[in-house]
Amino acid sequence: MSGRRLGMAASCLASLALVLVAVHVAGAQEPAVAGPRAYGSFPWIGSRTAVWIAAEVHLMFAAFVLGVPMFAVVAEGIGIFGGDERYDRLSKEFTRLLLIAYSATAMWGAVLVFFLTTLYPRFWAHMTEIFEVSMWIYVGLFFIESFTLYLYYYGWDRWKKGRAKIGHWTLGILLNVWGTAVLFIADSWLTYMMSPPANVGPDTSPAMVQFWSAFANATWMPINIHRLIANVVFGGSVVAAYAGYRFLSARTDQERAHYDWMGYVGNFIAIGALIVLPFAGYYLGREIYEYNQQMGITMMGGFMSWLWIIQAFLIGVLFLAGNYYLWVGMGRIPGAERFLPYTKWMLLVLIIGVIVWSTPHTMIADRAELEAMGGSHHPFLGVLGVMSAKNTAVNLMILTTFLSFLLYRRANRRPVVSWARTGTILQAGLFVIAAVVVLFYGVYGYFVSAIVRIGFSVYQVLAVLATIVGVVALDVAMLRGSESRGEIRWGQMPPRSQYALFVLVVTFTWLMGLMGFARSGIRQHWHVWEVMRDTSEWAATPALGYAAQVISVCVIIFLGLIAFIFWLGGLVEKPQLVPERGEH
Amino acid sequence: MKPLRHPFWQAVAILVIAYLLIAYGIPHLPQLVGMESAPVPGSVVLQYMVTVLVGVLIWVSDSDERWNRFLEPVRATMVDGDKRWLRLGLLIALPLLVGLLAFRQVRQTVAAPPSLRSIHPAPPSSITFRGRPLNLAGLDNPLRADGSVAEDYEEGKRVYYQNCLPCHGDGLDGRGHFAHGFTPAPLPFNDSGTIPQLTESFVFWRIAKGGPGLPKEGAPWNSAMPVWEDILTEEEIWAVIVFLYEQTGATPRTWAEAGEGGE
Amino acid sequence: MWGTNLRILGVVLGTVAVYTLLANAIPQVESEVPEELSFTGDVSPEQLIEAGEELFNGAGGCTACHGLGTRAPNLLTAQGSAGPIGARCAQRVEGEDCKTYLHRSLVEPGAYVVEGFQPIMPDASRTMSGAQIWSLVAFLESQGGEVTVTAADLQAADAGGEAGAAAGAAAGPSATTDPAELIRELQCVACHKLGAEGQEVGPPFDGIGSRLSAEEIRAAILDPAASIAPGYEQFAGVMPPNFGSRLTAAQLEAIVAFLAARK
Repeated sequence: MSGRRLGMAASCLASLALVLVAVHVAGAQEPAVAGPRAYGSFPWIGSRTAVWIAAEVHLMFAAFVLGVPMFAVVAEGIGIFGGDERYDRLSKEFTRLLLIAYSATAMWGAVLVFFLTTLYPRFWAHMTEIFEVSMWIYVGLFFIESFTLYLYYYGWDRWKKGRAKIGHWTLGILLNVWGTAVLFIADSWLTYMMSPPANVGPDTSPAMVQFWSAFANATWMPINIHRLIANVVFGGSVVAAYAGYRFLSARTDQERAHYDWMGYVGNFIAIGALIVLPFAGYYLGREIYEYNQQMGITMMGGFMSWLWIIQAFLIGVLFLAGNYYLWVGMGRIPGAERFLPYTKWMLLVLIIGVIVWSTPHTMIADRAELEAMGGSHHPFLGVLGVMSAKNTAVNLMILTTFLSFLLYRRANRRPVVSWARTGTILQAGLFVIAAVVVLFYGVYGYFVSAIVRIGFSVYQVLAVLATIVGVVALDVAMLRGSESRGEIRWGQMPPRSQYALFVLVVTFTWLMGLMGFARSGIRQHWHVWEVMRDTSEWAATPALGYAAQVISVCVIIFLGLIAFIFWLGGLVEKPQLVPERGEH
Repeated sequence: MKPLRHPFWQAVAILVIAYLLIAYGIPHLPQLVGMESAPVPGSVVLQYMVTVLVGVLIWVSDSDERWNRFLEPVRATMVDGDKRWLRLGLLIALPLLVGLLAFRQVRQTVAAPPSLRSIHPAPPSSITFRGRPLNLAGLDNPLRADGSVAEDYEEGKRVYYQNCLPCHGDGLDGRGHFAHGFTPAPLPFNDSGTIPQLTESFVFWRIAKGGPGLPKEGAPWNSAMPVWEDILTEEEIWAVIVFLYEQTGATPRTWAEAGEGGE
Repeated sequence: MWGTNLRILGVVLGTVAVYTLLANAIPQVESEVPEELSFTGDVSPEQLIEAGEELFNGAGGCTACHGLGTRAPNLLTAQGSAGPIGARCAQRVEGEDCKTYLHRSLVEPGAYVVEGFQPIMPDASRTMSGAQIWSLVAFLESQGGEVTVTAADLQAADAGGEAGAAAGAAAGPSATTDPAELIRELQCVACHKLGAEGQEVGPPFDGIGSRLSAEEIRAAILDPAASIAPGYEQFAGVMPPNFGSRLTAAQLEAIVAFLAARK
C-alpha cells in the first residue's frame, strides 16, 4: 500500500517539473483548433490539476505579498511614533523580502491566466464578458502597486527624517490600499463562481449580467475579510520561518539576537491574527449557508466531511506549535520562571482540546468494531463529535493560547500601579467568566434544537472576544511604566524552538491549500455554481487523498521558491542589526 | 534514582496511563455511572495516542532543564559501556517491532477493511418522486399544515406496522425480527442521533429512495432499505414520518438556518 | 551549516509527508457528478423516456394544458377509442409516422391543431433544446406505443440545433418595438387573454394595468416565478423565465407601457 503511495508522490513530483515547462507546451498547443472550443487539454496531470497548481501557488505568493506590507507598515509606524529604531529596520527587512516575491506573484498570475485561457476558454470567455472592466482596473492597480512598492523600498534611506519619513510611511499605507483593492477585485471573480447572483441562470447571457450584482455577490465580503486576516497570518508565519532560518545559520550573537527577535515578532503576528480567523471563517460559512443551504451541506457533510477532520488536525498542530514556541521562549526571559509551573496545565487543556476537537463523529472502524459500537457512532465518544463539543474545545484553546501570550508579555515586568493586584484578579475573573460561558453553552447545546444551538456559538465567540479585549485593555493600563525584572536575553533560544516555526509555516501553507480546495470544491461540477456546468472530463471533485498530494506539491513549490528568493535577498545585502534594548 | 521524579519515566507513565484510559477506561468507566459505552475503534485509539505523545514531547522539551534530564537515559543507553546488553537488545527489538507493525498493516486478512459510513449523507436538493420533481430544500411535511396530526398518526402507524416493523422493530429501536441479518443494522429511531437530527424532507428522501438511492460518496453503503416510492404513496410516506416523530417524541430539525455540520 | 539545512528540509518535508499520509489514510470519496443525458453517445430509450417524463411533468410546463384535457387534448388518457398518445399518434396525419408527427407538433404547433381546440401551444424549441424535445417525443411515444427515437435523431437535433441557435442569435427576435406585434410574436396570448384572443392559462391582459403597476408588470415579465397571481398557482412555472434576455430594453419597456395602460 505504501509503495503505491510512494509512487503517487513520485509522480506528483515529476508532474511538478512538468508544470514548470508547461507554459511553453500550452502555448504551443493553443492555436491548433479553429473556432471556439470549450476545453483545452493538458498533458499528464490534466487541465484541472494544472490550473489548480497555478492558482494555488499564485495565491500563496499573493497572500505573502499582501500580508507582509500590512505589518511592515505597522512596524514602521511603531518605529516612527515609538522612536525605536529597531522596528524601522525590521520593517525594511520585511519589505526587502517582498520585492522579489512580488515578481514571482506576477509570474504565477500570468501562468494562471494563460492556463485558464488555453485550458478553459469557454469559462474564461464567460468571466471576461462579465468582469472585463474590473480586469482592466485590476491590471492598472497592479501597476500602481508595483511602483509604489519600488518607491517604498528604494526610497527608504532617502526619506529618512522628519516629514519625508512621514511621506514615506504614507507610501506604505498606499501600498496596502492598492494591495487590498487588488485582493477585493480578484475575490469578486472567484466568489462570483461560488455564489452568482440569484437572477443569473444557465440561460442568462453574460452580457445581461449586471456588473455590480456579480461583483458584490453574497460571499464577496466574507471572503475579503477572511483572506485579509489569513494573509496577515500567513505573512507573519513566513517571516517567522525566515527569521528562524537566519537564526539557525547565524554566526554572531548579534545576528542571533536580531533574528530571534524577528522570529518572535513574526510568530506573534501570525498567532495573534490566527486567533480572530475562526470568527471570520464562521461568518463565511454562515453566508454560504444563507446563500445556498445545499452548498453548505455539501461543505460540512457529504464528501467533504472528512476534510474538516484533517483541518482539525492541522489547527491542533498550529495551536500546539505556537504555544510551544512561546513556552520555550520563556526560558530567555528573567522572571518567567514563576509561570513555568502553569504551562503544563495549559498544555493539558490544549491536549484535551485537540482530542475533542479532532474526534470524528463517524468513526472509521472495521466490522467487529462497528458491531461493538452498534453503528458508526460511538455511544460515549459520539458526544464529542458534534459541533457543540468542537466549538467549546476550540474556544477554550483560543483562550489558553491567549493566556500564554499574556504570561509571556507579563514575564519580565513588575507592574507599579497601585491597583495591580485588583487588576490581575479582574483579569483572572474575565478568563473564568469566559471559560464558564463557553462551557455552559457547550453543554447546554446538547439539550436544545439545532437552530438554537447554532446561535450558541455566537455567544461563545462573543465571550471569548470580549475577554480578549477586556484583558488586553487592563493589561496595557496595568503595565504602564512597569519595572523590568531583567532584559530579555534575545538569541538565547534553544534551536529546537526554531523548528516549531518551520512546522508552523508548513502547516499554515498546507492549511491554506486545503481550505482553498474546500472553497473551490464545494462548487462540485460547476464552473459557476448552477450557472455554468463543468462538462470536461475533470468535472468531478477529487478525493481528499489526491487533493492532499496536489496541495503538498504546491506547498513544496512555494516554499522552495520562497527559500530561493530569500537566499537571493541574502546575497545582495547584509542588514545591519542590533537590538539594543531587550524589549518587545 | 527515584523513577517517578524523572521526566523520562514520567513521560512513559503518562503514555501508559493514557493508553489504559483510552483503551479500557472509555469502554468501561462510563458504564459504572450508568452511561452507555463501547470499545474505541483502533483508528481513534491511534489518533488519541499520537496526540498524547505530541503533548508529552512538548512537555518534556519546553524547558532546557527538563529536556536535558529527559535525554539522560536515552543518551546513557546509547553510549554507556555498562548498558551494552540493553543497547543490543533494543537494537534487535526495535526493528523487529517496526517490522511487526508493518507486517500487521500489509497482512492479508479475511475481515473486510475498515469502512466509513456517514449516517447523514448530504441530501440532494431535489428528487423525482415517481417522475415528479420534488424540491427537498426547505420542504416541510405537508400533512402537518392541515392540523390533523392524530389522523396522520393513525395512518402512519398502519403503514409502519405493515411495512417497517420487520426490520425497525416494535419499539422503533431498530431491533425487528430481521434486523440481526443486516449490516449495517436498521436505524433505531429512538436514538437521539437519528431522526431528531434530520429534517422531515431528509427522512422522506431516505424512505422514498432507500438504499439504492444513497449517493455514491461514502459507498459502499450496503443498506438493505427498500425503495419505498415504488410501494407507498407520497401521503403514506409523509404519514409514517409523522408517526415516527410522534411515537418517539422527537421533533424534526427545522429549516431556516439549520446549517450545522453534522459530521 | 549543511546539517542545519538538512534538518530544516527534514522538518518541512516530514510535516508535508505526515499531512499527505493522513489525508490518504482516511476514506477516499470523490464527488459525484450527476449524470447528464449523453445525447451524443448511445443513449438508451429508458433514459430518454425518463428525461422526457420529467420534462412533461415539470419544467416543460406541458401539464398546464395537456394534463387537464380542457385546453388541449389529454395525452396520457385515451381520447375516445384511440388510446393514449403513443397509440393514436400514427393515425393522426396520413403519411407521417408517429415520431415525425409528435416532433412537428412540438416545434410547429400550428401545423396540426386538433379539432375543437384553439391554436394556443407555444413552439417548444423556444424553451427547450433539440435533445429535450426528442426526449419528450420518446416519452409520449412510450405512452401506449413503441419508442422509435434514436441517438441519431438527437445528434441531428444537436447539430441542427446549434446552427439554428446561432442563426437565431444572429437574427434575434424582430427588432420591432410595437407592443401588440411583440405580444403576438412572443406568443404571450397563448396563455394570457387579450380581448377576444387567447386562452386563460395566466392572468388576462385586459385590465392588468389596474391590478398591477408598471413596476410590478416588469418584474413579472423578467422573473415570472417570483410572484404568482392568486388563482393561477397550478400554472406556476409555465411562463418562460428568459424574456429578460430575449427582449431588448426598448421592447420590454414598450410591452410594459402597453400593458400598464390596459386599465
